[in-house]
Amino acid sequence: MHVIEAARLSKSYGRTRAVDGLSFEVRAGVVTGFLGPNGSGKSTTMRMIMGLDRPNAGDVTLDGRRYHDLRWPLREVGALLEAKAVHPGRSARNHLLSLAQTNTIPKERVDEVLELVGLTAVAGRKVGKFSLGMSQRLGIASALLGDPGVLLFDEPINGLDPEGILWVRNLLKSLAGEGRTIFVSSHLMSEMSLTATDLVVIGRGKLIADTTVDDFIRSNTVATVLVRSPEAGRLADVLSSIGASVTSGEGGSLLVTKVDSARIGEAAHAAGIALHELSPQQASLEEVFMELTSDSVDFHGHARVGVAS
Amino acid sequence: MTVATTLPPIERGRAGLREETLSEWTKLRSVRSTWIALAVVVVAGIGLSALVTNIEAGRWAGLGVVDRAQFDPVRFSQTGEFISQFVVGVLGALIVTSEYATGSIRTTLATIPRRTTVLAAKGIVIAAVIFVVAELTAFASFFVSQAVLTAHGGKALPSGSSIVAQLKSPTIPVASITSPGAARAVFLCGVYLVLLTIIALGIGFILRHTAGAISLYVGLLLVLPLIIQILPSSISNSIERYLPSNLGLAMIVVTTRKTDFAGVLMSPWAAAGTLALYAAVIVVIGGWVLVRRDA
Ligand SMILES: Nc1ncnc2c1ncn2[C@@H]1O[C@H](COP(=O)(O)OP(=O)(O)OP(=O)(O)O)[C@@H](O)[C@H]1O
Ligand SMILES: [Mg+2]
Repeated sequence: MHVIEAARLSKSYGRTRAVDGLSFEVRAGVVTGFLGPNGSGKSTTMRMIMGLDRPNAGDVTLDGRRYHDLRWPLREVGALLEAKAVHPGRSARNHLLSLAQTNTIPKERVDEVLELVGLTAVAGRKVGKFSLGMSQRLGIASALLGDPGVLLFDEPINGLDPEGILWVRNLLKSLAGEGRTIFVSSHLMSEMSLTATDLVVIGRGKLIADTTVDDFIRSNTVATVLVRSPEAGRLADVLSSIGASVTSGEGGSLLVTKVDSARIGEAAHAAGIALHELSPQQASLEEVFMELTSDSVDFHGHARVGVAS
Repeated sequence: MTVATTLPPIERGRAGLREETLSEWTKLRSVRSTWIALAVVVVAGIGLSALVTNIEAGRWAGLGVVDRAQFDPVRFSQTGEFISQFVVGVLGALIVTSEYATGSIRTTLATIPRRTTVLAAKGIVIAAVIFVVAELTAFASFFVSQAVLTAHGGKALPSGSSIVAQLKSPTIPVASITSPGAARAVFLCGVYLVLLTIIALGIGFILRHTAGAISLYVGLLLVLPLIIQILPSSISNSIERYLPSNLGLAMIVVTTRKTDFAGVLMSPWAAAGTLALYAAVIVVIGGWVLVRRDA
């Protein structure tokens, strides 16, 4: 079942097209990463899901209902939009209590989520004195307050230390494991590859991919093999003849695609060419993502390089 | 890691005015600035009024007939209101604009998607708090100030005394809460502050910025009267009575009979009604902006 459904969502601010005909679906039970570079419209989309910004066109629903029609919204959807969006003079506990009261959530639940995010010791302290990491934790606590089935996190690992990042990663996964719908934005592909199962990728407000992380990696990365040989020129011809694409790399090396390292080694051996290096390269996910979302490339093209002769 | 253990489900109803009112009360009471502002209202209300009353009492002996006729022990007891009106305005604006400044208005509107409910809850909570504090202060201030007058040798005029009796009185006139118009004036003094608070709240929803909202609010009370005064008196005379500050004066003045206020000010209850109308219009505009604009 798809829990969040966006259909041709569009939103402009003045002349800025923040979100442009965006359609995607988010299912329950897995972490769905929402990936896009800065300014690509992730936060705007999240605000539209929450009924905070009105789309110029299109529609977004949660289990078929608009956010505005939820009767106890905090018990159905929890969100961390901006960590610092709390009155600095209020204590963490009072902040959470004020939220709990809006949806008739018992007081004990406040202490429970404080415990869960590790803020119990500072619950009585003013939020203005919190570090960014502590504010993120408070934001996560407020999202979890109503024990909701849908959770939206806008860049939740911002400002967290490695330990905190690991904690968020595990939290997201275990929340998904409980059958919840987890939609989490990031501009870091590497982070999403560790946390998410599904992926919604956008660039300039438009959908680039709505897929799984595995498929995304498989279909968008090209296995390249770096080869060094004293007879680079002859080797290039030999490899071309077995269907490889060959370009020249740094320091006289060759970058070979379309054939794997085993076949390269065998072909070199058969031709009596010595190899000094034979190492498979993986284009980093970050590179793939950047290339996909930059304007200058065909979004569906592979990172292919011209064939050297 | 299990996230939920103790959350009992609810089947009926929806997150509405009752829930949001509770929440707004928690928000209001859990920041220190609220208590500072309310303390200023009380201290300025009672202290400044007593101080001014003390000064006026000292001047009685040297006052001429006209000034004695205008001597208004009730109004003197409410002079602290001049300070309080700005304090409650700041408070009313801040409970809205501080949420826009931090971005927490988005959290608020996400927990209660019906935006007019949020506006109503904020209005109910701040109006109730200001009503209680302002009325207690107004009445306390009244009694303290009359005690100051009595300490200066003042005496209450026999009930039903005319203005002529007041200007012929050898002693400083002291008001009793049962004197004509006294209880009404003191009560409306609190009402004036409540209505101003609501006006500031509405301005907060319209402008969303603390500095802008407070500037506009102060402008309505202080600058607008100055602008009106520059106009030809044929125009200004007919407008003056509609100024918020003059409506406030009309609500608390007792001895308007044949004094320099006569004809300039509305009757007390008409003034209260007019100010309430202003508040309603501003709140409706604020609600319209809240509902129509992105959060
Ligand atoms: N309230 C607003 N008013 C005007 N422009 C806005 C507003 N919100 C967003 N924008 C613009 O819309 C575009 C998308 O912004 P958005 O914040 O949704 O991107 P994002 O993907 O969340 O970026 P980031 O990774 O930096 O958080 C940007 O060009 C931004 O400047
Ligand atoms: Mg963002």
